[in-house]
Amino acid sequence: MLQIQHLGYDSWRTIYFQRATVLLSESVLIYALYMYENVSNDARLQLTFYSFVQSSPPSSKKQSHAAAVSILLSPGLLIIDHIHFQYNGFLYGILILSIVLARQESGLLASGVLFAALLCFKHIYLYLAPAYFVYLLRVYCLGPRSIFDIRILNCVRLAAGIGIVAALAFGPFVYYEQIPQLMSRLFPFSRGLCHAYWAPNVWAMYSFTDRVLILFAPYLKLPVDTEAVNSVTRGLVGDTSFAVLPNISPRMTFILTLSAQTPALIKLFLSPTWHTFISTLTLCGYASFLFGWHVHEKAILLVIIPFSLLALKDRRYLGAFRPLAVAGHVSLFPLLFTAMEFPVKVVYTILWLIVMLMVFDRVAPASEKARVFLLDRFSLLYIAVAIPLIAYCSLIHQLVFGAKYEFLPLMFISSYSALGVVGSWVGFLVVFFTS
Amino acid sequence: MPPTSSSHRPRKKRKQEPTTSSSNGAVTLDLVSRKEKPAFPLVAFFWPARGTSTSQWVLLPCILMTVGLFRWCTGIWPYSGFHKPPMHGDFEAQRHWMEVTTNLPVTHWYFHDLQWWGLDYPPLTAYHSWVLGRIGALINPEWFALYLSHGLDDMDLKVFMRASVMVSEYFVYIPAAVICVRHMARTHHINSWESSVALTAILMQPATILIDHGHFQYNTVMLGFVLGTLSSILAGRRLWSCVFFVGALGFKQMALFYAPAVAAYLAGACIFPRIDVVRFFSIAIVTLASFALLYLPLLLGTLRDTYRSIPLSADVILPPLLSTLPFELSEKAWYYPYLVQLAQSIHRIFPFARGLFEDKVANIWCGVHSSGLHKLNQYSSTLLSRAALGLTLVSITPPCAIIFLKPKKRLTPLAFAATAWGFFLCSYQVHEKNVLLPLLPMTLLLSSEGGMKPVIRAWVGYANLLGCWTMFPLLARDELRIPYFVLTLLWSYLMGLPPCGLSAYSSTAEGSGLYWTTKTVHLATYAAMLVWHCVEFFVPPPSSKPDLWVVANVCIGAAGFGMCYLWCLWSLMDESGLLVNLGLVESPKAEPEKKKQ
Repeated sequence: MLQIQHLGYDSWRTIYFQRATVLLSESVLIYALYMYENVSNDARLQLTFYSFVQSSPPSSKKQSHAAAVSILLSPGLLIIDHIHFQYNGFLYGILILSIVLARQESGLLASGVLFAALLCFKHIYLYLAPAYFVYLLRVYCLGPRSIFDIRILNCVRLAAGIGIVAALAFGPFVYYEQIPQLMSRLFPFSRGLCHAYWAPNVWAMYSFTDRVLILFAPYLKLPVDTEAVNSVTRGLVGDTSFAVLPNISPRMTFILTLSAQTPALIKLFLSPTWHTFISTLTLCGYASFLFGWHVHEKAILLVIIPFSLLALKDRRYLGAFRPLAVAGHVSLFPLLFTAMEFPVKVVYTILWLIVMLMVFDRVAPASEKARVFLLDRFSLLYIAVAIPLIAYCSLIHQLVFGAKYEFLPLMFISSYSALGVVGSWVGFLVVFFTS
Repeated sequence: MPPTSSSHRPRKKRKQEPTTSSSNGAVTLDLVSRKEKPAFPLVAFFWPARGTSTSQWVLLPCILMTVGLFRWCTGIWPYSGFHKPPMHGDFEAQRHWMEVTTNLPVTHWYFHDLQWWGLDYPPLTAYHSWVLGRIGALINPEWFALYLSHGLDDMDLKVFMRASVMVSEYFVYIPAAVICVRHMARTHHINSWESSVALTAILMQPATILIDHGHFQYNTVMLGFVLGTLSSILAGRRLWSCVFFVGALGFKQMALFYAPAVAAYLAGACIFPRIDVVRFFSIAIVTLASFALLYLPLLLGTLRDTYRSIPLSADVILPPLLSTLPFELSEKAWYYPYLVQLAQSIHRIFPFARGLFEDKVANIWCGVHSSGLHKLNQYSSTLLSRAALGLTLVSITPPCAIIFLKPKKRLTPLAFAATAWGFFLCSYQVHEKNVLLPLLPMTLLLSSEGGMKPVIRAWVGYANLLGCWTMFPLLARDELRIPYFVLTLLWSYLMGLPPCGLSAYSSTAEGSGLYWTTKTVHLATYAAMLVWHCVEFFVPPPSSKPDLWVVANVCIGAAGFGMCYLWCLWSLMDESGLLVNLGLVESPKAEPEKKKQ
């Protein structure tokens, strides 16, 4: 079973085993979400590990409970982990544990070390690292009153902890001199800007605009790169080039990502509270998902999961969360393509959306500040459009066109989802910077 | 923190959830805190939807989606006969009927090769197969190509067939269940929240899901018609109940299990409290008309084939039923082909020539025979079938007599259950899957008054879990062990029953009312089931008796089902007030008092 030559080995026993490992490793997530007995700041907290639910103050217990259930039952995790097959439940469990630890002064070191370990499991979490860096720097390494009051001991502790984790993870590879090979595998800049199925980010909208402009280019007298016309939609992992719009380099995406993260990081540095920390994590996730190089649609969980912890803070947050919940999960649909899986993904997601959005709607408290009118009143319309869209992409398109224009449904789904993700990002930015 | 200005108040006003008094026991009072709390986990899932705050328009779709997901996920597992040549299994039978009905002229349907899964279900199944076969052939004609498609195991075909079960169920069984539970609620004055809980419990019945979506059959269509019959009776529409019941019979002859109860109820309704001749004749006419409608397509098809003079194949054996007709039959007569068709379909549907029991099934005959109490193969099959008939009559007479003498709507589910148990235990040619028939009306009791209280919940749960357990050998053959464990344990957890909970047995609160004997017997049976699973898993049966574990399963099952029969009969007598009339039970005021609670 574990012999590398056996690629594509899929006996029933192997499937049972692998699926069972996913289920088992997900217990970390359950632990992180539930485990502890929280009483906001008494001594017991020091002894027990805490979970997200337990660490929240009694007044918001109901909300944290709802958020925890929504993460645990998330269709994203179901689709990616239990059907598509990955271990995200486990990894997000570690992430949430680390976030929760950061809530308490005493847990900061553990939080940082845990995050370092998480990075060694999957480097996609590097996208969230800036928020961790700023938060730990401000709260743990610098004194509470002045930023010039450097706490050396804490710095040494944190550095040692992270160093040990990194040494454990990368040591063997350093020993066998495998690092260059490792790095080239981890950071595949040789791949294209967009993944095969266009993750719903800014680049998907960019590509969509490009496609549309190809049609209108003759009228607008724009130059068209004929070689590129057929490339974007071929669906292969490769270099993406644009026909009308300028091409994008990895460096540009990097700069865009960082500059999108910076304002939030500055705010976090200035007011380092736990809620700002989660908000910044979410915004880092957004920035990297929206502007990153070769983003996979699975990375949307990087946004959804931290945001879920926050969505119930008050109704303004919930307003920004709603389109994200719809768009993020709809964008995962193309991952599963067999007829048997189709009803599972669609019905489960719709069920989750109905139940969770209703519950969220009921438990989210009214906000203390007046809500800014922003596109959130269109979100109902946006959500409603999802239904005909799914019906078209999964059924009607096949009936009308057969196997032709296979890229059309994918393009529609990712453009639609991109709209929702960008919309919720803008909404969240407004909430974040006005509160 | 209360909002200070109205601009950012939640748009909708939140209603204070009114505490609705529970009438069927889903809610219990915590003795310490005097607070209401859910009686078992399934109720806890519905807790946020209590009161009027959640509309049925949201709750019902959510229930249907949830149960649909469980059904579909069961369908991902293998079906009976998957990769099992030469004969495959029920899946192949259903597929083959689609092949036969879409490819052959109507007159050949009931004559085509019996050996390879010949069509032996009533005409409605044949029409159903025809419709599904037509639709399937549009997608991929190879699935139903005549002869060439035998034993096909195509993955897309599996999806199509699974989807056809789902769609049939959502067209017949699910609406029928929803409506029937509504009518039950109205008859018993249950609030809509509690009936939603009961509906979920009924739709999550593990046995039905496992057989229809795992093993592969279309039982739910027949059961849906039976539910239609029941809800028509509950709504007082007796004529519609005849139509639906003919539909059930026309889909699967096994609905005969209920026939005596239906007939007794309808006859009773014509006689008590006063003789109503008009009602009697309208029932008779509607029933005959529905049978005529049932056979009409078959006969019209025969007309077409006669007109186009398509002969039957040369080697057909005419049904023996024809020779028993009291008059001389001429092959030239215009009605001859129709009679042949009718006789042949009846001959196929009721295979008197087969044995007393087929596989190992947990009824009296198989229990007596295989436990070694008394070997039955020393008797001739005529004697055995007569004995079966006699015993069945004995077992179904009491419930039918009660429902005949007291034709009350609220007694019908119990009467149906008792009659079906009688048939299941004593009759001829029973299959282990037929346990679904008594289970359905019994599970329906959950939506009756006090249906969630420990007494009924314990008995309904006992019957259901025992029923699933007796089907385990069948499911294990189909490689459905994991869905079996998941669905059964899930249901027992949701209902707070062993092995996942003891709430039905431990509650000492008033109204629990389980006798200690009942508790002992139930818990002993649950323990036996658990031990049996361990033994079956770890210890191979002795080589001289390879079926030993199955036999043990059958014997325990038969004993347990016997008790379920007795309980249904006893509750029926109790509910009908017969016990009071006969002076067997004192305190004639008990019933009105109970209602006040």
